[in-house]
Amino acid sequence: MTILKKIREFNWQAIRENKLYWRFASLKTSVIFLGILVFFYIIGTIFPQGGEIDDYIRAGGRFSSFVIFFNLLELFTTPIFLLSALLLFINLAICTFERFLLLLSQKTLKTEELQFIPSYILPLDINPQLEDAFEGVREIFKKELRFREQTNGSDKEQVGSVRIIEKGWSYKWLTWIYHVAIAFCFVGFLLTYLFAFEDGITLYPNEHTKIMPTAVSRWNGSWGKGPQELDFKLILDEFITEHNQFPALDYPKDKLSRLAVAMGWKEVKYLLDNESYFPKDWKSRLRVIKGNHAVLEKTIEVNDPLYFQGITFYQAAYEQNLKIQVDDNPILLETEVGKELIVPGVDGMLKFGTLKTGTLFKKDGTTEKIKPFVETTLVRKDSSGKSETKKLGKLVQDESLVVDDKRIILKEFKEASVLSYRYDPGVPILWISGILAMLAMSLRIFGAWHRIAYRIDEKDRVPRLLLNIKTKGLMANEEKFIKRLKYHLNKMTEPIDLDTPV
Amino acid sequence: MSNLETLLSRDAFLLSVDIRLFWFVALIYGASLVLYIIHLVTKKTGPGKLATNILWFGVITHAGLILLRTFEGQRAPFQTLYESLSWFAWSAAVTYLYVERKWKDIYLSGILVAALSMGACLYALLTRSPAVEPLSPPLQSWWFEWHVVLAFLSYAVFVVSCSIEIVYLAIKPSLKKGLGTDFGINMDNLESFHAQSFRLALFGFPLLTFGIFSGAAWANEAWGRYWGWDPKETWSLITWTVFAMYLHSVSIPKWRGMPASIFNILGFICMIMTFIGVNWVAKLLGIPSLHLYAM
Ligand code: HEM
Repeated sequence: MTILKKIREFNWQAIRENKLYWRFASLKTSVIFLGILVFFYIIGTIFPQGGEIDDYIRAGGRFSSFVIFFNLLELFTTPIFLLSALLLFINLAICTFERFLLLLSQKTLKTEELQFIPSYILPLDINPQLEDAFEGVREIFKKELRFREQTNGSDKEQVGSVRIIEKGWSYKWLTWIYHVAIAFCFVGFLLTYLFAFEDGITLYPNEHTKIMPTAVSRWNGSWGKGPQELDFKLILDEFITEHNQFPALDYPKDKLSRLAVAMGWKEVKYLLDNESYFPKDWKSRLRVIKGNHAVLEKTIEVNDPLYFQGITFYQAAYEQNLKIQVDDNPILLETEVGKELIVPGVDGMLKFGTLKTGTLFKKDGTTEKIKPFVETTLVRKDSSGKSETKKLGKLVQDESLVVDDKRIILKEFKEASVLSYRYDPGVPILWISGILAMLAMSLRIFGAWHRIAYRIDEKDRVPRLLLNIKTKGLMANEEKFIKRLKYHLNKMTEPIDLDTPV
Repeated sequence: MSNLETLLSRDAFLLSVDIRLFWFVALIYGASLVLYIIHLVTKKTGPGKLATNILWFGVITHAGLILLRTFEGQRAPFQTLYESLSWFAWSAAVTYLYVERKWKDIYLSGILVAALSMGACLYALLTRSPAVEPLSPPLQSWWFEWHVVLAFLSYAVFVVSCSIEIVYLAIKPSLKKGLGTDFGINMDNLESFHAQSFRLALFGFPLLTFGIFSGAAWANEAWGRYWGWDPKETWSLITWTVFAMYLHSVSIPKWRGMPASIFNILGFICMIMTFIGVNWVAKLLGIPSLHLYAM
């Protein structure tokens, strides 16, 4: 309570009287801060972000002591960068706050009234009555051109006073709204920075899997808190892979031959061989178990994750384990796709490509169950130590390939689904404020806003309309607008046709 | 012939039409570029006018090409870099022709636009595969589609904005000195010609904002991380920030002239970096990229 009291009693006005405060409220300052951020971003594109310094040095990276000193591989988490972002945020917050006060006070409206300088003078030459002209013009603006009146009060109703009318969404408020929304995006980034963490998990079919993150958010980390096991489990009911039949294109790589294709001297062809299976989708049928009950079921796929208790689970990849039989040996050799396998009696090592299984969506619209197979290669090292690979072809399940008189059989395989998961409380705020910022920005920029200050007086006993028009938004077209206005004014001032019976 | 073989030979036929038409479009943009350059050198209106008419022809043919591609792939034709470069080239030319209608006999800014449209077509044709590829699982996203369409559209709009800016900066000094130019620009129309540059950047800015937002939304759905600071992402953020600096500078009375113009041109340079030069500086300094995605 005392804190609240102190806050209330604090002399806020003194801050607003400070010079530095006004510097922070200036547009120039924001351009400078934006420029400083650009400088950091550029440095961040030069040095690979998120890399390990050892990898960097191993890959031949230069300026390593410089990189280590300034922490250039983690540039966007360094205090100096965060401070720059904070300064821009403060700038934005002060700007929007001051703008808010200004918009509320409608000061600009009053100055416009006082400093009325007409940019158009349109004679209303037929109708002799000033009062009628005043009412007529008012009607046109209101009914035909759909303007809102901004000034109220009887003293403003009279002929000769400046009236201010407006049409369209107020661009000032829209500008204000998207700047505020951008400020809220900064809050979202901060929440991500402090509280987000991510990790991965491998699920084998039909096994209850506990979720024990190894990662911890910056916030928890800074308080020395370790990761905590989540209070639910996941079961993978099924892992599904789908492939598209994708015929390779016979198309030259070198530029001259490509020109030859353009000239019609060379044909392009699609080559159909069965090996060209292109991944279409990976899906995991998941069940969330809390206590002893399944509380949620969902089949996730890439681009369609599972959300549960603030954590999002993504289909990231998969693992494939193979069991290989050699001749009639009942003991099966276990290996993983992509790894090399030593087979007794075979000179070299066997290497298996991705196991193709699941459904094949063929070009002609039909589907087919794939008989599981792996592309197999033999890796041999020659006497000088150079390795040499030889394609052995497809190893289909329960069929064999012969290498060095050994029969290699793919007996069994097991697939596991690899998920990544992430907790990020910044995302909902970013969704809301991002969409709000884009909406307001689009309305402001693509829309149309008109403000007119006008007065009616007379010169040489002829009433005339003096007006000043201000437009914003790409849809606003001053020329067209004046044309429309003239058209309506002409209609209003048309002499009554005496020949036509009333 | 089996059903499948018929399908494949049909696809190969369509693809070869696609490729040849694309070369033809590049050639038309090239012809238009040459005529714009002749206009620059001779200061005659005729070649400028012809260049614009040819560019119209190119744009209409190109629209046919984009439709053909849509038919070939049975999907929105913006997914591979081959396709999005084509979209970019077309959008830049269309944007230019749209704003150019209002000017009488000002053709100079067509040079950069025609050059970039042609360049984008040739870059796609010479370095990318034209195959109508199935999309890998991460790319099968509504967000990804919008991401490409809007980001590339905004880039196209920025190209036109920058080309007007360059012409303005090049011509203004001689006009101020009272030296007439013969390019249809005079003291009366100079500022309203230049105003288009700001309007275009203003138009492009929300598009790029959508582009970045949809990219982040897509990354969030596909990889579970809305931002990863890889060079391509970061360059698009740089482009966005530099254009924000430009739009703000225009509101600062003292900066409205030259400094603002420089920001517009810088924004354009950043955009080109996003496209092709992403790791160029790193390579120049001999710094390795550890990221797979950083093409
Ligand atoms: C990431 C940060 C920012 C972005 C993306 C941004 C974006 C924009 C854009 C696109 C415009 C031009 C369109 C329009 O006139 O409505 C604009 C105008 C403006 N911005 Fe920002 N802005 C940012 C930060 C700031 C900050 C920190 C300030 C505070 C000084 C500021 C103050 C203004 C003002 C005064 C205008 C002119 C509005 C008018 O025409 O009345 N902006 N901003």
